[in-house]
Amino acid sequence: MKIPEGLMYTQDHEWAKIEKKAIRVGITDHAQSELGDIVFVEFIEKGSHITAGESLGTIESVKAVSEIYAPVSGTILEVNELLLDTPELVNQDCYGDAWMALIEMDDPTETDNLMNAKVYGEFLSAEAK
Amino acid sequence: MKTSLYPEHVKLCARIVDFHGWDMPVWYTGIKDEHMATRESSGLFDASHMGEIFVSGKHCTAFLNRILTRDVSSMKPGKVYYTFFLNDKAGIIDDLTVYCIEEQERYMLCVNASNIPVDLNWIHEQNKEKAVIEDKSPQTALIALQGPGSAEILKTCMDFDLEDLRYFTFCKINSPEYGDLMISKTGYTGAGGVEIFLAAENSSPLWRSFVDAGATPCGLGARDTLRLEMGYPLHGNDIDETTTPLEAQLDFAIDMSKNDFIGKESLAAQTSKGLSRRLFGVELLEKGIPRQGYHCLKAGQEVGIITSGSISPVLGHGIALAYLDNSVHEDEEIAVLVRSKLIRAKVKRPPFVKGTISK
Repeated sequence: MKIPEGLMYTQDHEWAKIEKKAIRVGITDHAQSELGDIVFVEFIEKGSHITAGESLGTIESVKAVSEIYAPVSGTILEVNELLLDTPELVNQDCYGDAWMALIEMDDPTETDNLMNAKVYGEFLSAEAK
Repeated sequence: MKTSLYPEHVKLCARIVDFHGWDMPVWYTGIKDEHMATRESSGLFDASHMGEIFVSGKHCTAFLNRILTRDVSSMKPGKVYYTFFLNDKAGIIDDLTVYCIEEQERYMLCVNASNIPVDLNWIHEQNKEKAVIEDKSPQTALIALQGPGSAEILKTCMDFDLEDLRYFTFCKINSPEYGDLMISKTGYTGAGGVEIFLAAENSSPLWRSFVDAGATPCGLGARDTLRLEMGYPLHGNDIDETTTPLEAQLDFAIDMSKNDFIGKESLAAQTSKGLSRRLFGVELLEKGIPRQGYHCLKAGQEVGIITSGSISPVLGHGIALAYLDNSVHEDEEIAVLVRSKLIRAKVKRPPFVKGTISK
């Protein structure tokens, strides 16, 4: 399972990457592998304000529906519209081309609540037990 | 519980899920790939969790004719029927296949895994005829080899000619490597191929020989999308004790011309009264995936509910089975409420895709 250094992680298996006052968000390798073939992705509207822990979109595999949760509060600056027509990209490149949204943070200190790669790795091992 | 093939699934790194108490593979590499492999060449499924109940003895035919919806008295050895156990109200206790092993003397019932205890209870409770009932589920494995490439694999692995077998018949053979086999030209995919019953202890070598010959191991995920594309109902989702075969549009599997059977009166009453809902196929015309429990609407009014839904890997869009009320007809446009959005959809009579069954 790939867990790149330099990203931050949530307990719901999203990753977040700080880009100045914004964060780019996606789902982790573990999440895409658990879901299996991803066949549908949709997002809430660009420009909406979202609170940490709220759903910024929905992702569906053949078998299941799951939500993508916002790691921090803020305003949705961009969503990855590429995924609307090519949801399978999430299985192929979850840390790259298949990013989900760019969120302008209300309070950059909120990222302190997220895990680094090492802690997320331990969290995954603990969850597997 | 685990099937005798569980170690094979682990070796193949399958994703294992709990299915009604059974540790079963949901996929090996991915549902879409496995689905397409079955449609285009051949898929291999472990269906050993299903139940095999043998019914024999002096009055077994009379007994089965009373508890099943098809007429078994005219069955010849080697014939298979799809049929039901109904309750008095014609609700479906289970759907099953009945195999005639010896004419009038010995039959096998292949029932849904999750219903084995319920079915056994029901059969014993109804057994006024004192037929001999043996549950051989634990010692029996069931391997389904499905898809247009199955014939070639059967020839390679067992020197067996599938063309000699007709659809919905089976034959018994004894193989030096795999022991006694019942090869049945049936399946739950619409892709053609066989289902093979054999002793659990012989299942791994047969499984491995099919894998080595090029069959793609497929999990329950692909089994579900394949059956949904064909519109085959799943007991527990699309049919259960609250639905009748008439509502599910499975009339072909009931025989109203035979003598009394459990549920017959209720079926006749329902026919004369008319149906208030029927099970239809629903195909989405826009992006979105219909799921069990989603509501169907017509002109803003609720007209039914989805009982199974997913994406069709062949078509690339959402398909479902749904009970729709009287006001709805085939080829009509309705809407499915997917989360808070209304998605346009068309009412269809399945199958959604053309199968590749050779009769």
